[in-house]
Amino acid sequence: MPRLLASALSLRRDPRLLKLPPYLSLLCIVVGVVWLFLLPLDDYSRRTYISENALLPGQVHTYFGGSDQNVFRAYKHETDELADKGNIEVNDKLESIAKGLGLKVGRQNFTYSSAGNTHSGQNMYAILQAPRGDATEAIVLVAAWKNVKGELNRSGIPLVLTLARYFKRWSLWSKDIIFLFTPDSIAGPQAWVDAYHDAHDSSRVASLPLKSGALQGAIALDFARETRFKSVHIVYDGVNGQLPNLDLINSVNHVAGGQMGMGVAIQEMWKHSTSYHDRLQTMLRGMLKQGLGLASGPHSSFIPYHVDAVTLQPFGDGWQDEMAIGRVIEGTFRSLNNLLEHLHQSFFFYLLMQRDRFVSIGTYLPSAMLVAANFTIMAIALWVKSGQPEVQEVITEKTKTAEEAEKIAVPNPHVAVERDLNLPLVVVAVCHVLSVVPLYLFNHLSESALIPAFVLFSVLSAILPFLLSNLLHTSTTSTTTQQYNLIQSFSLLLLGMFLSSLATLNFSLAFLVGVFSAPLTFVRPCPNSPVLKVLSMIVLYVLSPTTVVLVASVLPGLDEKVGYGLGEVLKQAAFAWDVTGTYTPVVVWCVWWPAWIAGVVSVLGRPEAAGEKKVKKA
Amino acid sequence: MRRFFPSFLLSLLSLLCFSPYAVVANPSTTSADSTSVSDSRSDYHEQLILRPLPLSALLASFNFRSNTSLSAFEAHNFRFFPRSLGQILQHAGTRELHLRFSLGRWDAESWGARPWNGAREGGTGVEMWAWLEAETDEEADHKWLTLTNALSGLFCASLNFIDSTRTTRPVMSFQPEGNHIDANATNMHLLYGVLPHEVVCTENLTPFLKLLPCKGKAGIASLLDGHKLFDSSWQTMAIDIRPVCPEDGECVLQIEQSIDMVLDIDRSKRPRDNPIPRPPPAHEMKCNTSKPYNAHDTCFPADSAANQDWSISQIFGRPIKGACPLTDPTVSPVCIQVPDSRVVFASEGAIEKKNPDQTSRCFDFPAENDFEIFLPAPDGSVEVVVDQLVNKPETPLLYAERSFTGHGQERGGVQTILRNPSPDQEVEFIYMESLPWFMRIYLHTISVRVDGQPGKADDSLIHEVYYRPAVDRARGTQLEVRMTVPPASTVFLTYDFEKSILRYTEYPPDANRGFDVAAAIITILNKDQSVGNSRFAAYNLRTTTLLCNLPTPDFSMPYNVIIFTSTAIALAFGGMFNILVRRFVAANEGPENGLKKGVNKLKAKLAGVLKKTKKGGDKKQGSIFAAAEEVTTEKTE
Repeated sequence: MPRLLASALSLRRDPRLLKLPPYLSLLCIVVGVVWLFLLPLDDYSRRTYISENALLPGQVHTYFGGSDQNVFRAYKHETDELADKGNIEVNDKLESIAKGLGLKVGRQNFTYSSAGNTHSGQNMYAILQAPRGDATEAIVLVAAWKNVKGELNRSGIPLVLTLARYFKRWSLWSKDIIFLFTPDSIAGPQAWVDAYHDAHDSSRVASLPLKSGALQGAIALDFARETRFKSVHIVYDGVNGQLPNLDLINSVNHVAGGQMGMGVAIQEMWKHSTSYHDRLQTMLRGMLKQGLGLASGPHSSFIPYHVDAVTLQPFGDGWQDEMAIGRVIEGTFRSLNNLLEHLHQSFFFYLLMQRDRFVSIGTYLPSAMLVAANFTIMAIALWVKSGQPEVQEVITEKTKTAEEAEKIAVPNPHVAVERDLNLPLVVVAVCHVLSVVPLYLFNHLSESALIPAFVLFSVLSAILPFLLSNLLHTSTTSTTTQQYNLIQSFSLLLLGMFLSSLATLNFSLAFLVGVFSAPLTFVRPCPNSPVLKVLSMIVLYVLSPTTVVLVASVLPGLDEKVGYGLGEVLKQAAFAWDVTGTYTPVVVWCVWWPAWIAGVVSVLGRPEAAGEKKVKKA
Repeated sequence: MRRFFPSFLLSLLSLLCFSPYAVVANPSTTSADSTSVSDSRSDYHEQLILRPLPLSALLASFNFRSNTSLSAFEAHNFRFFPRSLGQILQHAGTRELHLRFSLGRWDAESWGARPWNGAREGGTGVEMWAWLEAETDEEADHKWLTLTNALSGLFCASLNFIDSTRTTRPVMSFQPEGNHIDANATNMHLLYGVLPHEVVCTENLTPFLKLLPCKGKAGIASLLDGHKLFDSSWQTMAIDIRPVCPEDGECVLQIEQSIDMVLDIDRSKRPRDNPIPRPPPAHEMKCNTSKPYNAHDTCFPADSAANQDWSISQIFGRPIKGACPLTDPTVSPVCIQVPDSRVVFASEGAIEKKNPDQTSRCFDFPAENDFEIFLPAPDGSVEVVVDQLVNKPETPLLYAERSFTGHGQERGGVQTILRNPSPDQEVEFIYMESLPWFMRIYLHTISVRVDGQPGKADDSLIHEVYYRPAVDRARGTQLEVRMTVPPASTVFLTYDFEKSILRYTEYPPDANRGFDVAAAIITILNKDQSVGNSRFAAYNLRTTTLLCNLPTPDFSMPYNVIIFTSTAIALAFGGMFNILVRRFVAANEGPENGLKKGVNKLKAKLAGVLKKTKKGGDKKQGSIFAAAEEVTTEKTE
């Protein structure tokens, strides 16, 4: 032990030690990224399984069908008649049908404003009170009038009505069933769930006139197509990358894939060959969606309230009819009805590779953590370095003897240099304070002003480092290498801290930001090598937050041929911030952007040697 | 159903000869309210009141009442009063007892006012309150414990779980129903306990029926069957024991047992061997033919709730097996509350008595024959107004709905929405909550807000608050609020609470389900108490129970934490301790260590062993000699 300590202490003073961190950081990044690519292999992912035994998915006979199809057709005619009608008229009709079934009906108005647009509407919901139960628990069946793409939920609405009529006949429900009809897929459900938990802003969202018990689960149906289908697509991403309990997805999987014999797809992988390539693609798509943190369907708003929810979307051409998806919902509801406890057994943090393979948090988290740790390692290294006397790398005066030069070159490691903290702290703080500007701008401007604002901001953000750098250089107390080291150290320390905490909440976002900002670890002030400087600048500007946002908005989406366009992306981001409370903009503008500014400032830095400074002063 | 209807009717006709529109004989007391204060001298009577409700529901109120004179009771002379219960009451010094077993919820919006004005019902689960005779609080607690434990055995319910944390002593909400000579004396203790999570089922019904004089073999009790009772949308079983002293005559001890249930007619009519509600064949569906798209494969369902036909044996699975021979013949055993315009068929030998109020009629029938009632569906061709089929439900004095607000595992809130439907009468009532100790309420957050005046708390509506704070693990919170709701307005009563963290072992096996919070009890005060009306409460209602989610640990976590912390402490402590107690010296100064030291030790040992084996023989002899010498010295001394 003592020897070990002694050797460790001597190692501390070893100048070679300070050469190590960049390689260690690089190793962290490489291992982190490679780790991620290993996950789809059989050895690292696991087959899914049902943890909560009470669910018993696919163990019951489902009886939905027969003459219920006649009722469905009738309700479909009613829905078709309402296709062009206004929200209120639609709700009037739905309410009359629901009341005719003997359900309790409530309505709720909401108005959100985002990017200068007003999103308002009226939710209608009907409560089927558990025949023998008390109002302690409830499960929700959501049908949005329009799905995320804006298509009319032409088969979904009548199917939910038919199911309501069918469920009413059963006496076995232990929980209330709430049928929720919302005018759109994001704002409506959000308003309803907020109000259900009394977490709403009553000036924008009305309170609910009628309530039931604690929500135990929710299924949303997005069934816009009118023809027969082949498989069902499970959408499970919640707001801010939160996910529903894996047991819920597994139950739907069991009921749809096992009992009903239809295919199940996730993450818009319409065809999945269980190969490494497909698994990786599924996982990366999932990570991208999780990282963006946007609401992906009516179910998304439920998840932040610890209500597990998924959206079912039938797709593909096959022979399954509406009754089949009705039976899937029936089977899933029977499973949820069995629940004695809130879903808690299975995983809440996972990456799905295919419908029945997943990676749990213990396996994937090191990947993002390693990427985040590289910043911390470098930050510590720079801190240590800043505490040591500077090395005069270039010795210009040849008059000095070799001995003298050696003396200067190998500084006495036992002498600690006092750190000048004020300037670096101010610079990093200014970067972070400035980050409020884009956050405020992009979430409060009106839609038409968004693109000009973004262009203007991009230009300013590109110029800002030069301005800052000039300011640092020309100011009366010019900046030393130590101070540049400290600027980088603080900035990287913050980045590492934020990203490693974020990794536990939203793994994908932390990983993506970590990878994009990885060059920040390696850039240094290089006043004497213009090539290196230009190279670093190019890399940093290519991977700047503004460039990434711009490129991402014009790149084609997952299933589209063309990108959404910058205006649309900014509008969506503002909408997500205002309505669903997505915090991705905070991470981009308040974590990544300041770190990037600090990085570019240090690349542009023209540090003065401490000696020079003294001379100047003298 | 429609297809089978004629054959069913024929078979009924052949079995029983119907006597529609029998002459009004004797309009006796039949409505729910008037029976409760009827003749207290008759020893036993029973009555079933059937009231069809809107949305194809049927309320069946069973009421059984028997009396025994106090002197006979004290002399252990039981006739109609159940001996098992009587002895428990005597043993525990109980003066008045109320016991409730309830399930489901009353849908006041569609069914209107509650039966018995809510006086015979409890919140979900088991509820019980009693006036005990005791000198001190401790004695009362002891007697309460005796009583709950004895009743727990008698009714197969977990009443013994009503411990001090679930017991409260309400101050304002309850008044004795019976006539007590010393009603306000200090030796009368009111204790109230509630078990919201208790599931009421058949095992509670059987002992209930055993207390009846006719046991469930004859009379209206023969309809009580666990399958039907516990399939109802709402049901409550009540036992009330109270002393009643008529103005002229001896005091009697009265036991009143009642069962109220709301049956879903559709569901009850399903045959027991085929209870699955499969979709009916398409040609049996009732369709709304006025829709333009109506076709053989498209059917907009017509409102099926309107025209329902039913009979007692369809609903309950069997007819009434004759009247109970012990019952008071002056009280009709079966009454049905439908408008006089509706046709009601009864079996042969029954006498129909119509009430003058045109909304109800009663039937007397002999003990020998089965009794059956059949209500045919009105003419399907005409659009029938619901009012002609069922009596218009009475509007209750108050609607109440309680729910949780907020989310998360740290804090929460309770919001009760109280709506007064009356256009001109304000409602004064007592709102009582008995909350578990782990819901710590913030009393200062209690506020009342009238709907339509957002953000403005109106504390003038609260007149009186009685609050007894919880003590951790010892007693629950008790909150009683006397307040009013102005006419035709909705009032929000809200308060916040904090969720406490339980100890690891205090969680139930299904910890993630949440914890049931008992129903709030709302007692609407009787305004004209002076006018000879001795009833304290005009109307009672209970909210639904709530499910409170407490912070629940992942129960595999403690194990992980223990292992992790132990490892961390072992490493940290071990290293630190080592560094602290070790003295560091230069290698050459210190004692020899390592391999060299071991080798030296081994050498020394080997040398020792060699020496020993050499000397082995002599040593043995020597020792013997030594022992002998010792012995000799002892002897010489």
